Amino acid sequence: MRVEEAELEVITRPPASGLVVRHSWQKHVLTFLMVFGPGLIVMEADNDAGAVSTYMQAGGQYGLHLLWTLIVLLPVCYFVQEMVARLGIATGKGHAAMIYERFGKWWGRFSLIDLLVVNFLTLITEFAAISLALSALGISPYISVPVSALGLTLMVVTGSYLRWERIVIALCLIDLTWFALAYVVQPDWAAVARSTVNPGIPAGGITSSLVFLVIAIVGTTIAPWQLFFQQSCVAEKRLRFVDLKWARLDTLIGATFTVLVAGAMMLVGNYGFQHRVVFEDPAQLAVAVGPLAGKFVRSGVLLLMVNAAVLGTTAISLASAWAYGEVKGWEHSLHKKLWEAPGFYATYIACVGAAGAFVLIPHVPLQLVIISVQVFAGLILPSAIIFLQLLLNDHALLGDPWVNRPWNNYINWTIIVVLFALSLLLAAQVMLPNLFK
Amino acid sequence: MATMQSSYKPHYYNVVHPLKDVPEQKCSSEGLGQIAMTPSVRLSLRVLRGYLMLMTVMLLYHVLDLAGALKHFKL
Repeated sequence: MRVEEAELEVITRPPASGLVVRHSWQKHVLTFLMVFGPGLIVMEADNDAGAVSTYMQAGGQYGLHLLWTLIVLLPVCYFVQEMVARLGIATGKGHAAMIYERFGKWWGRFSLIDLLVVNFLTLITEFAAISLALSALGISPYISVPVSALGLTLMVVTGSYLRWERIVIALCLIDLTWFALAYVVQPDWAAVARSTVNPGIPAGGITSSLVFLVIAIVGTTIAPWQLFFQQSCVAEKRLRFVDLKWARLDTLIGATFTVLVAGAMMLVGNYGFQHRVVFEDPAQLAVAVGPLAGKFVRSGVLLLMVNAAVLGTTAISLASAWAYGEVKGWEHSLHKKLWEAPGFYATYIACVGAAGAFVLIPHVPLQLVIISVQVFAGLILPSAIIFLQLLLNDHALLGDPWVNRPWNNYINWTIIVVLFALSLLLAAQVMLPNLFK
Repeated sequence: MATMQSSYKPHYYNVVHPLKDVPEQKCSSEGLGQIAMTPSVRLSLRVLRGYLMLMTVMLLYHVLDLAGALKHFKL
């Protein structure tokens, strides 16, 4: 570890002023609240439009039978993102920059280009969801998409990370409405509890569509952009070594909240299953169950779909802008004004604007976009996660306090092997469909 | 420092927001070069290369299949 000259200068400054409290518990609560944010945002933004669709399809096709997958995924999400938070705090840099610095230009460029491509394709699906959901509410895509894109741009150009973070946390908390929707559709709560802890096989047995839906749930719960996003976000927030335990708690709360919201989405999908509603996307389900479940469910699903897409779009676009800015050596911070970090903001605006414009093209091949997302995610996720694991074992960079412990490595290598296998299987199913007939 | 006991009020805690705190020394890769090629790093990167090559071959197959270039080779 080396002390940068510029850092030496600032370290000698007097301690910054803060809030004075009297009790130790107040200190802990206040520190946690100050650190809280990146963990919740990265997890809840992962419940984006694609995730809403996947979880509701899981409920719509298999009822409550796949609820157990979420319990399995909770520790997986936590362990992966905890490594990201630890690396971000230890280095103060983003994931893309670390791959460049420690693995060289080839791997750095590969990771960056793949990330940018998969993120852009995912953004198209987010805007497609906004267009679908608001069309069902009678708003033309030619109004909803540009207005959303403008709102998403205004969210970030205020020159304040904290302002952006507060807006996004508020959007995350809107997802609490999923619990109200799950309550309104009145599932059999005893059956919900049983299915959550007891992996059961749906009627019809283990079919290829069941297997691939399970893989899709895994794929949507652990997305490649999350690794890049949280590390950059932690660096942006300048979290300190002493904040690590609170960053871990933030990540755990985020993972738990996300899994619970995903479960609520499955319960709403299950309502469609119970009433034999066939649907291809959540907007269709919302419209179909409206006369049965009421206006609250209909409008709730549609508006929450938009919220999910907005959350996903801002996080994914920022992941791209941070990664590109880090690698290019540009100013890449939400603390900067628009004119102080033009490249960073231009990347964000270009991602949002181009994805929004793409959706407005008549007869756009969305199915091809969705398939491409799965293929590129299959390329980037295993590689990004391998680099993460290797960086967390890099003693020369991190020193002993921050590297993985042996038990970390046992768990993480297991997760990596499973993710490799599932990514390969999903990509193979997409590209070689005849193999799975 | 996230929290400090004030020297003149020992029973009070000063809680500083990370963005308002003085920057701390981070782990820097400057001067370290690229990661050391230990057996586990080498093996991981080889596995990753193999995985990516396999994915590329599948992708090429899929593109050729969609283009109809493989219809004469199918059994």
